[in-house]
Amino acid sequence: MSGAVSIHVPEVRLAKLIRTPGGKPVAEAMRDANKGLEGIQAECLGELSEILKKSEAIVGRSGGVYKAEVTTELYKLISSTIGVPTACGLKPIDTMLVSLADLLDYLHGQASWEPNAVAVHLRAFRLLLHTEAARDETGTQAILEGLRRVSQRFAKPVETRPADADEDAAAGLD
Amino acid sequence: MGLNPESRARFNLQRASVLLLEETPLGMSILVQILTGFGAKVLHRCENIEEAEQTVQKVECDLMVIDSMSASGGAGYEFVRWLRRSGIQPNCYAPVLLTSGHTPNAVVSKARDCGAHFIIAKPLTPISVLERILWISKEGRRFVECDSYVGPDRRFKNDGVPAGHVGSRRDDLPPDVGEATMPNMEQDMIDGMLKTRRVQI
Repeated sequence: MSGAVSIHVPEVRLAKLIRTPGGKPVAEAMRDANKGLEGIQAECLGELSEILKKSEAIVGRSGGVYKAEVTTELYKLISSTIGVPTACGLKPIDTMLVSLADLLDYLHGQASWEPNAVAVHLRAFRLLLHTEAARDETGTQAILEGLRRVSQRFAKPVETRPADADEDAAAGLD
Repeated sequence: MGLNPESRARFNLQRASVLLLEETPLGMSILVQILTGFGAKVLHRCENIEEAEQTVQKVECDLMVIDSMSASGGAGYEFVRWLRRSGIQPNCYAPVLLTSGHTPNAVVSKARDCGAHFIIAKPLTPISVLERILWISKEGRRFVECDSYVGPDRRFKNDGVPAGHVGSRRDDLPPDVGEATMPNMEQDMIDGMLKTRRVQI
């Protein structure tokens, strides 16, 4: 580190405002916030269906090979969607989106493309969004764990990556 | 942090001026629903960096909830970095809560060094957002300004200097304990300090 270091304690107006009389109890704030989120659930579900369609269309343009613009476009779409599923009570889809965003980040860093690994995530997206699969907690956890293992496998460069048939089978890649 | 969602403790955000920066309409809706649920009434909604920069120059903000915009190369981190160095008082010291859907490997250090008070990984839940707001609103947090970093002190737990490193601050203590400079206390004296005593109120 070079140059001068200044350390001071600025005034935090928020601290005073939060303590002023009035406001809400935490329990009431939680109820109101959750009620507000319930009010936008239908809009969120509709948006997720659109995002799934857009994702499949983007992947269709890859032609099975690495194209930087395809990977970037899909990453942007997926990473900006994280958080929406939980708002409509579909937390497993958020977990799937995080796994897919990880995978796309790894693939982009290695300038490679793994059609099966991407496809299995989008199949899980469709399954969790359009069926009652999300209600089967054990089954959902198994799917998510499989996806996690698939994306983590691509965290390593190709030469150090182990082939793992069990992981592929667990995530429905075989 | 462990805030009980059933707690009856009160907090007041009615008069707090809150800047929200979120580029997706649904992401903004989620934030707005959560904050209005908390009772916040003064929300400045910004969909891009330009709007946020203009707002910061015109309005005094008590809290900022900024999306990292990882999809746009981490523009949210750049905004916080700009804000901290902008000299626009008091906004340059305002508590900043950064939200992030996904942090690509390439921008992890940018996220760490931008000068936010706290980074929350999405998905956001009302309880996690409130816990962080209450935490960052605590007074007395030190602010560090130097060539390479401007923002709240990232050392908020005093675990001492990391092993194998020499402290870089004046008040950092060396890891080795020095020789005693006074004789040890007698056991009677220690017992006397711990002994329960009757007091008259």
